[in-house]
Amino acid sequence: MQSPHAVAWELRDVRKTFGPVVANDGVSLILYRGQIHGLVGENGSGKSTLIKTLCGVHRPDEGTVLCGDQQVHLDHPITARSLGVATVFQEFSLVPDLTVAENIQLGRWPGRAFRVNWRTLREAAKQVLGDLGIEISPDARVGDLSKAQQQLVEIAKGIAANASIFILDEPTTALGAREIEHLHALLRRMRSGGTAILYISHRLDEVVRLADVVTVMRNGRVVSDADETPLEVGAIVRRMIGKDIEKHYARMHTTIGQPLLEVRDISTDSGVRRVTLTLHRGEVLGFGGMLGSGRSEIARALFGIEPLTSGEIRLRGRALNLRSPADAIAAGIALLPEDRKNDGLFFNFTGARNITVASLGDYDRGFSLDLRRERTASQDLIEQLRVTPEAQYQLVDHLSGGNQQKILIARWLNTGAEVLIFDEPTQGIDIGAKEAIYELINTVTRAGKGVILISSDDQELLSISDRIALVRAGRVVRTAAAGEVTKSDLLETTAERMTAA
Amino acid sequence: MTRWLRHPLTGPVVATFVVALLVWSTTDRFLAIGNLNNLALQVSIVALVAIGSTIVIIVGGIDLSPGSMIALLTMLLASMLKFWGVEFWLAIVLTLIAGAVLGCVNGFVTAYLRIPSFIATLAALSAYRGIAFMFNKGSPVFDASDRLEPLFYGHVFGIPLPFFYIVVFFVAAHWLMRHMRLGRCIYAVGGNANAARLSGINVRRTQFLAFVIAGFMAAVGAVLMAARLNSGSPNYGVGLELQAIAAAVIGGASLAGGRGDIVATLFGALTITIVQNGLNLNAVATSTQNVVIGAIIVLAVGIDMWRDEIGRLRFFSRARRSAIGPIKEGDHQ
Repeated sequence: MQSPHAVAWELRDVRKTFGPVVANDGVSLILYRGQIHGLVGENGSGKSTLIKTLCGVHRPDEGTVLCGDQQVHLDHPITARSLGVATVFQEFSLVPDLTVAENIQLGRWPGRAFRVNWRTLREAAKQVLGDLGIEISPDARVGDLSKAQQQLVEIAKGIAANASIFILDEPTTALGAREIEHLHALLRRMRSGGTAILYISHRLDEVVRLADVVTVMRNGRVVSDADETPLEVGAIVRRMIGKDIEKHYARMHTTIGQPLLEVRDISTDSGVRRVTLTLHRGEVLGFGGMLGSGRSEIARALFGIEPLTSGEIRLRGRALNLRSPADAIAAGIALLPEDRKNDGLFFNFTGARNITVASLGDYDRGFSLDLRRERTASQDLIEQLRVTPEAQYQLVDHLSGGNQQKILIARWLNTGAEVLIFDEPTQGIDIGAKEAIYELINTVTRAGKGVILISSDDQELLSISDRIALVRAGRVVRTAAAGEVTKSDLLETTAERMTAA
Repeated sequence: MTRWLRHPLTGPVVATFVVALLVWSTTDRFLAIGNLNNLALQVSIVALVAIGSTIVIIVGGIDLSPGSMIALLTMLLASMLKFWGVEFWLAIVLTLIAGAVLGCVNGFVTAYLRIPSFIATLAALSAYRGIAFMFNKGSPVFDASDRLEPLFYGHVFGIPLPFFYIVVFFVAAHWLMRHMRLGRCIYAVGGNANAARLSGINVRRTQFLAFVIAGFMAAVGAVLMAARLNSGSPNYGVGLELQAIAAAVIGGASLAGGRGDIVATLFGALTITIVQNGLNLNAVATSTQNVVIGAIIVLAVGIDMWRDEIGRLRFFSRARRSAIGPIKEGDHQ
């Protein structure tokens, strides 16, 4: 491919190790001005390390970083920023108590000495938000915004930095279709303005649509550089995992059995309104609808987090009175939370202890836990779910996102739960791990358990579910066999919701 | 990698030995039997109270009240023995129960009324010492009982009793934290309270119980304090909570919760006590001692936080390769 533009940044043979782990092994990458460069790879392939090297968070053990044609030493994030590196991280770097405008200009507030020019600050923020086509007030407190809105503010903050290189790490996980379009349009505009853009995403269709060139990483190495990678999803996937995937979503539909969970007319103060649904043994029931449609709230009500104001929940024909997650777990319900970090993982525990934490009662002998039986149980699940063997003694912090997610699923399999609620189970994890999770869903439904699946990935939702309940504004507006639901039905639910709100 | 450097006991044990060597280099009297005995007596109260502080820190809170609890409880115990004619052992048991009750109050305010533990126990620090002054018109109670002192100064097989208290309570606490369900729940709640709740753990009860244990351990400290001085005083235990917290922190406990180790706390307490002992032997003024202890806390926590960087220094990597050999390195590849 021709490269008509000037080199903005270049990495040459960068190597970075963490103890015995080689995160980046001789990685080279050239980023041109006015080009959108896609960077893809499974979790643990070394993308994040690479980005952090560019941002000055990590210092490479070997290799050089060049800004233009000058070699630079990025020994601190401030150095990187002063050289024009702006980054939108997966984890937010916003101050919840400050306003949107203050956050967008954080560290660059206009004004002199001790006086901040608030009006300029506000106007500049308004300009950026307007460009993005987002209707968020610059005066809103960031802590009051939804996750999707915070994501947009995070992006606006990166844009406002007027950087020479703009790095986005999974910027769209919390965004709806319309917001993604706005973002992409804006990135294209920045491209024509001469900015170099490095775009990292697990959503390959998005990458292919947006990027000019794509680099694929695997196991810390570049396996396919910008000149080699065709802009086609299948080809990229093969390079990412190093083999062909037969079928992307291999759902084995099982015979649907007796009703397992019957929900009648439940409402909560958190916005669930008279929801009725039935989950059968061996069935995957998908919840369609966008972020904020009330899908997660229904899940939380079924798991005893939000108290019911009306209606009833029956499991295996018996009425439940769920006052806490502990009650739900005891009854045989499990919730795989959307937010792995805040609601799922114990970072002070090894992978193994993360698995057993919800079933400690099984190992409790009064004055001691049966540690041997506990270890056997976790070991069995680690092998069965093909989690990395390190999980037995490593803190979960050191494991990849896919492994972390498998560990959380193992936690619920270990409780013997029969109703498994999966809230965005494949968000932010790589294709190999996704496949493993689909396979797991097959296994549990074959065993006669029921799965409720919440997913923003429409293709995944349609392919994995047996039936789909369309959720809008806290109500189930329609339940139908997955074959009868189309992508546009899902989008419609979204669109109606947006106008309703 | 560098496993021995990462072990929770490494830092505190090294700290203890370093300060012991330093003190020994300044005075021969440090290793005299008499002084070592004295050291064991000195460390016992701080160390036992620090068990409670460590557990509260691990659950994600902080307890500022044990110093004041000790004042209150020594007054209670001394009054029961001297004025109220309560039978000796009953008075001891009632004191321990009273400590647990004070812990219940802290736990209730923190876990169920959801007042942050720093605020709740800061209030308790003030209130409990206030209550201590309500006994005996605010005057100390001297010569409480002639059966009290042997609890502290007694020997069994020539070994001072406080040594046995330390062994018993530390073994029990270690067992609780590493082998019992409650201990695991305490680590879980301190590590991620949200996730703990969603894993079916009763978060509030766990936090509550941590404070109850801390109250009980403060009562153990109070009984020893009263026995040591055969008296109760509303002025006992000033600043003891900070020494106990310092012991936990030098032992590697993280104030963010979820991390900490009971046995490491013992070495933390030893480190502080040895420093104090050494400064005493060298006749350094108390004011200077406090400054030195402040510096030690920063140094100990700093070394703990910089451990990764220290581990990467060439000296240590080389030492590891030759001395420890290939420990499970292959597993990571």
